[in-house]
Amino acid sequence: MDKKTYQKENATPQYPHHYWEYPIAIYLFLGGLGGGILFLNWIFSAFVFPGIDLTQVMMLPNFVALIVIVIGLFFLVFELGQPPVFYRAYVTATSIIKWGAVLLTIASVGDLIWLLAYWSPAVPVLGFLSVFNFFEPIGPLMLALAGLAGFGIMVYTGVMLSTLKAHSFWATPALPILFTTSALSTACAMIMLSMGGWPGVMATLIDYLAVHEIHSMLHLIDIILMFAELTILLIMILSFLGAGNRTQQRVALRWVKGSYAPFFWIGMVGLGLVVPLLLDISGGALAGVVANVLVLCGGCLLRFLCVWSDDRQPLPDENRYYFRLKASDDRFMTRWDKPGKELERGQTWAYKENEF
Amino acid sequence: MTRYAMAIDQRRCIGCHSCTVACRTWNDLPMDIVYNPVVGGVVEGEWPHVHRNWVPTLCMHCKNPECVPCCPTGASQQDEDGTVWVDYSKCMGCKVCVNACPYGMRDTSHTVRRFDQFVRKCTFCKDRREMEPGKDPYCVQTCHQKARIFGDLDDPESEISKLVNNVDTFRLLEELGTDPQIYYIPDLGGRR
Repeated sequence: MDKKTYQKENATPQYPHHYWEYPIAIYLFLGGLGGGILFLNWIFSAFVFPGIDLTQVMMLPNFVALIVIVIGLFFLVFELGQPPVFYRAYVTATSIIKWGAVLLTIASVGDLIWLLAYWSPAVPVLGFLSVFNFFEPIGPLMLALAGLAGFGIMVYTGVMLSTLKAHSFWATPALPILFTTSALSTACAMIMLSMGGWPGVMATLIDYLAVHEIHSMLHLIDIILMFAELTILLIMILSFLGAGNRTQQRVALRWVKGSYAPFFWIGMVGLGLVVPLLLDISGGALAGVVANVLVLCGGCLLRFLCVWSDDRQPLPDENRYYFRLKASDDRFMTRWDKPGKELERGQTWAYKENEF
Repeated sequence: MTRYAMAIDQRRCIGCHSCTVACRTWNDLPMDIVYNPVVGGVVEGEWPHVHRNWVPTLCMHCKNPECVPCCPTGASQQDEDGTVWVDYSKCMGCKVCVNACPYGMRDTSHTVRRFDQFVRKCTFCKDRREMEPGKDPYCVQTCHQKARIFGDLDDPESEISKLVNNVDTFRLLEELGTDPQIYYIPDLGGRR
């Protein structure tokens, strides 16, 4: 293949825009984070320390899980073309998105009931919420439901992308594994940062001992997860680069030495995984906090880069079509690329279109 | 049973884009939506045997469409005659189907008001065919080179059935297993 043909076939796609924008990336990150927290909380409460009351220790992590899931759902609904009719997502039985919506609903409702069931009257300012303590008998059941749904959400965020085989970079079994590992890793980091905080009321020595014990266990788990994530990530990208189809190679090239390379090498691999690993291994309380914050930022960056890697296999000389459109009518295309920028208050596009 | 399909004769297509314009006119499309872009147009061959190869595209109305089962609201549907279409009254604009289509033949318009967007796509002019049964899609009617042939693939007497069964054709991204129903008759530039 001559150089000119090679360059043309490997050119960056010139589609008008990414179909999914930043809200979906944020939603995938927050959904995975919230799901991971609920899953780990359930595992620790039901299996690791079955006889110990961890409700006050895990109150803030569960509160954070509820908040991030709700914020994630907000971004999901915000990305819709018609947000007021979001309830239509619950209609069909076959769609993966429908299962995601159901899992998110179960997780958030279960978590809310669990929080209210164990809400202490001694919580500053919001102590009156303890009137809902009558949920306490179903608290463990709700945590189990939320934990299982949380596990489903972690897996679903990756599966949702990997079922879309139009995008070669997404349609790989490695992506759900990578997303699940990252979700668990970020959940570990968030639990370590928030365990034992408000609105949990730490009253006994056992609570403090539990915080210490869980922290040291999560610390170890997070180190293992970061190693695993680094391995999966590098294997996935480098195998795409070496043995992927043309679309996968083009995206991997962008990650490894193209426009995404600084975000990938410095942001995700360096600051998101290697530096936190070194900080976690070297020890120290402040180093641990910095490592956890970096892990969270790295997880968020991973979702952004993956969502923006939505290249599909171009149709014959499709790139040329869009190149030509952009070159021949820049005024038209400028407005296409950035609609609304030239709109003034009260004007509509129908009004603006009449100028052409 | 009726099974609609389209054959596109690349030997006849001259890349005039009148099918694109016709489609935009009939469907009253916003300016950032094109249902049937005519891509390609690369000069191929060696002098004096040179030719330009145009690839008029549109929704492939696949037999196994990726865009239908992924729709969470049931708005994306397929009729018994194979037509894949979107019920705008059910669509919530989540763009899963847009991402699922390997051909990039669906999109929402960015020029319509935010929060009022829905997914649009070619329907083989379902509305025209419902108004007047037997009528061709507007792009087919407009093509002055007769490069687009539309009809019932299951009818052995139809023009498209005869063409597809007797002429070498190819389909786009056939390896994905979606069984697209747009058949291309290649322009081999005089070569066999």
